[in-house]
Amino acid sequence: MLGLASSRKIAWRLAVRTDEELIAEILNGATAAFSELAARHRPRVERLCQRFFSDPEIARDLAQECFIRAYTALATYRREMPFGGWLRAIVTNLCYDELRRRRRRPEDLVADFTAPEVQWMNLVNDATPEEIVAAAEERRDAHDLAHRLLDSLRAEDRTVLILKDSEDLNVREIAEIMGWSEAKVKIRAFRARQALRKQAERMRAAVNRERLS
Amino acid sequence: MINCFEARQEFPAFWRREVAAERRAELVSHLARCAKCDRAFRNFALGAPVLHSVGEPAARAVAEGQSARDARPRRSAGVVRGEFVPRRGLAMSAAALVLVAASLAAYFSVTTPVDTLNDELSTDPIATQIPGADLYPSSEDLAG
Repeated sequence: MLGLASSRKIAWRLAVRTDEELIAEILNGATAAFSELAARHRPRVERLCQRFFSDPEIARDLAQECFIRAYTALATYRREMPFGGWLRAIVTNLCYDELRRRRRRPEDLVADFTAPEVQWMNLVNDATPEEIVAAAEERRDAHDLAHRLLDSLRAEDRTVLILKDSEDLNVREIAEIMGWSEAKVKIRAFRARQALRKQAERMRAAVNRERLS
Repeated sequence: MINCFEARQEFPAFWRREVAAERRAELVSHLARCAKCDRAFRNFALGAPVLHSVGEPAARAVAEGQSARDARPRRSAGVVRGEFVPRRGLAMSAAALVLVAASLAAYFSVTTPVDTLNDELSTDPIATQIPGADLYPSSEDLAG
C-alpha cells in the first residue's frame, strides 16, 4: 500500500515538474523539455500578446518569437525571479518594440467605424451600465473597438496601461520590465489614462454626431 | 453611500463581475445620479473589453469565425498550438548563416599564408632583386 502510494508520488513528481526542474533539464541538454515548459506558459503569453494586438496572427507570431528568445537566452535566466515573470518581461518588450515598429497615425483611428462598432458605441452611449457589461462579453466588435481605441495611444502609454490594468503589476514591477524609472512609469500611466479618456470621448462624440446628422 | 472616487475604483471589478450584489447596486445607483461618473464609466467601457477582460476574446472570436479579418489564412500554418516548433524563417536564417560561415572558413583556409612575413620576403624572388637593376648597366659592363 505504502509502496503504491510512494510510487504514485514519484510518478506525480515526474509528471509535474517545476519550471526550475525543466529549465535545469534543458540546460543539461534535454531540449525536448522546452516543449513542456512552453506549453505550460503559452496561454498566458498569448493572452498578453492579444492585449497588445487584435490580430490573432500577429499575437501568435509574437508568442512564438517570445519562446524562441526565451529558449536562446535560457542560460541567462536567474532563479531569483519566477520564470513566468521573466517570460512576461520578454513578451512585453517584444510587443512594445512591435508596437513602435507599427506606429500608426492617431487621426486615422477614430474614424470610419464599421456598422457593428457603431452599434456597440450606441449601446455604450445609451444602455445602463449592467446592460453594457452583459453585452460586452458577447460582442466581438466591443473587443475590436477597444483595440482601435488603444491603437490611438502611444506605444509607451498602451504598454503601461496593459501592464497596470490587465496584468495588475505595480509601478516598481513595470519599471523593472521596461527599464524605466518609477517616476517615468507614474507619469506615463497618468498621461495614458488622460489620452485614453480623450480618445474615448472623441469616439463617442463622433458617433453621436453621425447619429444626429 | 458610495462617493465618486470609490465608484471609479470599482469600475474594473464591476466589469469583471467581481463586486458583491449590494456594492453593485450602490455603484449602479451612484452612476444613475452622478453624470460625471456615468460619463467616466461609458469611456471606461470602450477600453475595458481589452484592458479588463478575463477571457481570450481574440481566440474565442477565431473559433466562432465572427471576424472576417481573422479568417485570413495563417502565415505560420506549420505551427502546432501547444507545442514548441521553431519558425521556418528562423531555420532558414540559421541555415544561411551556417552556409556563410562555412564559405568564409573555406576561403580563409585556402588564402591565409602559412609562412611568416620574413619567410615570405626571403623566398620571394622579386623582393631579393634591387628595384630597377635590370634597367641600368652594371659597372662591369661600363668598364667593358
